Amino acid sequence: MTFAMNEVEATAKRATRGAGYVWGLAEEAAKATRWLCVHGFDGASELAATLNRGMAKTAADHTPVDPMTDWQASDVLCPLTSGASLSDFASRLKDAPLVLRNVASPAMLLPFAAMAARQLDGALTLKTDGFTATFDPQGFGCDGACPEVASMVSIQTGGSVSQPTALLDRASPSPAAWATLNAYAHKTFAPATEESRRLGAGGAELTDND
Amino acid sequence: MEHPTTTIPRRPPAQVMRLSRLGSMHQCRLSFMRTLTRRMAAENWQFYRHAFEINAAGEGHAVYVAQGPERAYSLVAFAHDLPADKRSDRVIAEAWDATFTLFDGVPTTQDVERLRQNIPLQEAGRVSDSEISVSRANRSVRLWSHMVDALAAGQQPDPEQIASVGYLMRTTAVYGSGKLGAADREKIADRPEMQGPFQAEMLSVFLTRWFVRDLVQHMAFQKGGDATVTLHPEMARRLGIGNSTGLGMAPYIVNHPVLFNNWVMAREEAIARVRSLETVQNSEITAFLDVLRRTETLVAASRSQHPIQIGKLQNLKKDLVQLKSFLTQHAGTRDYPWDRLIVWSEKSLSEEGQELIASLILEPYPDLVDGLADCMSDSNRDAFCIDGSMRISTVQDLLKDSFGWALDIDWAARENCARAWYVSEEKLEPRLGERFEEPITDYEQPLAPARDAAKAYETLKAYDSDKTVAEFLLTHPEHRHTVRRAQMSRIAPYGEIHDNTISDKVLPIDMLRAKLAFFGATHFDPRSDRWVRIAMYSGAPYPDELTPDNADFWVYPEVTA
Repeated sequence: MTFAMNEVEATAKRATRGAGYVWGLAEEAAKATRWLCVHGFDGASELAATLNRGMAKTAADHTPVDPMTDWQASDVLCPLTSGASLSDFASRLKDAPLVLRNVASPAMLLPFAAMAARQLDGALTLKTDGFTATFDPQGFGCDGACPEVASMVSIQTGGSVSQPTALLDRASPSPAAWATLNAYAHKTFAPATEESRRLGAGGAELTDND
Repeated sequence: MEHPTTTIPRRPPAQVMRLSRLGSMHQCRLSFMRTLTRRMAAENWQFYRHAFEINAAGEGHAVYVAQGPERAYSLVAFAHDLPADKRSDRVIAEAWDATFTLFDGVPTTQDVERLRQNIPLQEAGRVSDSEISVSRANRSVRLWSHMVDALAAGQQPDPEQIASVGYLMRTTAVYGSGKLGAADREKIADRPEMQGPFQAEMLSVFLTRWFVRDLVQHMAFQKGGDATVTLHPEMARRLGIGNSTGLGMAPYIVNHPVLFNNWVMAREEAIARVRSLETVQNSEITAFLDVLRRTETLVAASRSQHPIQIGKLQNLKKDLVQLKSFLTQHAGTRDYPWDRLIVWSEKSLSEEGQELIASLILEPYPDLVDGLADCMSDSNRDAFCIDGSMRISTVQDLLKDSFGWALDIDWAARENCARAWYVSEEKLEPRLGERFEEPITDYEQPLAPARDAAKAYETLKAYDSDKTVAEFLLTHPEHRHTVRRAQMSRIAPYGEIHDNTISDKVLPIDMLRAKLAFFGATHFDPRSDRWVRIAMYSGAPYPDELTPDNADFWVYPEVTA
């Protein structure tokens, strides 16, 4: 079964929030998951793997300590918090490459690097163990398989995309990852009670035969 | 399009974006139903009934095709025989009198069979990217019975009964933009006919109204046989499609600040352009007086049992009396007459009256106004991206611009945060709960931008104002959504509601009304503080009657009630 990209985004946002991330990051994770699906990755699997690490509860341990040097934390870096910062600090890339150490699900960084490239209105190259991705105003291209955890990720300006990835308009997430995301999303829903059914939507009657 | 110079500025967001004013909005030339019918008439769209296979019990399907210059769209309708105890407008309903999808193109027999397995199930079904919207509708039981009985007995229905309900069926949800697996907005956004907001949904309802007329005629014939008469076209035109809108729609205008800004800003720009006219032609005054006269009929025909709406309608009727008196005394064609009228209305009329006049003065000026409809969608993908290099002092300024009014509110006081928006487990229905009485705070949705802005502002006070957003958000990600909204306000000054959306006094119907007014809805009839019934396309020509002559002003009744 295929899904609309909008469904992917809506589910990813709820899932990320359900996994304990703040709303702003949930919004970004949702757009990022959509970006991955549009560019042929299984964004749902990448997000599910990220959320399954349970990093939101100990966010400080997974967030770059000092953005002025190599980005690292006491534990593995979360690609959502690091990715958001990568986009936020995009202008730094004009002066020097950025290096991230020990990153979980580094594929999740790709959409954020794409946002950085857009802000710089130029090309960026992201490299990690056995994987290279290039972003330029014409599109995105990559080579190799992105690891589950990267010991090092470097991002610098330059590069050009020789063969842009074809863009997809439907998503085909792996059923297991999709179920995982829905399970996290479910945590954002308040259990329904008769009281909320009656009051929460404005005292509507149970039938409307008028 | 050309950009006429305006000497009168747009009304400021602090004035326009108050909830009570948003809750007093009226349709105008830029409303989505009117832009759709104008376009289809101008482009000479062709409409035909492709299938109508409904049995004597009223079960089956029908297909109605709208053929535009480049593409066709089809309403695929399924009619059901619904027991009365299943008839509910609530989103938690599981069966309906009729269910629909707007199909991209003309469906094959196989498409219809696939849809028959899914569309009647609504949320419990799946559709594909060949479908653009999914919707359902329930009958108004009393008007339906009256119409079937009257036509079957060889009589036209009682106009008073038609006026008292206004529609044979009301839609209870119209889903688009990828919901239930349908096509994403991106698939259709570049098509000229779908570029404007909600054009697919408005087309779906326009065709639904046609189907409903055919269905009631069909059911009357089943009952009356040869004695049955055809519903008179003039009677048929009085029928709109009703709509029940609940809380699900209220968060939309908060969740889409750039889009909502574009709607409001287009209308405000239109108002500023007309106010900036130094002189007015007599023909333009005549056109204005004509829609004003017809508006009196529209207002007189509005009915509501809700105390708030009854009061608003009473005020509006008084406003219309005052307006006529003002026009008699101060009619003039020189010295910025429209601006004088608006300035007078702000001092003399209720917000209902003020917003009605602000909409009506646009009517004589299609050349100044209609092109702005092209600016009402949101194609700005970059607005989402946070500019991390921005200085903290700039963010503080932006927060003050949109939320200066909110910074001194005591957000811990119960009355100021009495409510919380949350999503229920059941059908993902948005609800508004009592924060201090129900266990919902853990599930709260980010639908209180003012409170969040005040929190962020407080945190920023202790922060070095020369530092950057990127540095701040690294240690304070909890303010990320607020900083994003603040930065969006640079391009979307009308993107934020200037009121508290979680206070003990908030009326969600104000948020619903604003959105529905932009759709072009009339006959606002709140049923509580959280849901509202409206009419769509009341007075409009049916698709097969649509011409450039009747495509625009149908919203204003020709007849006296």
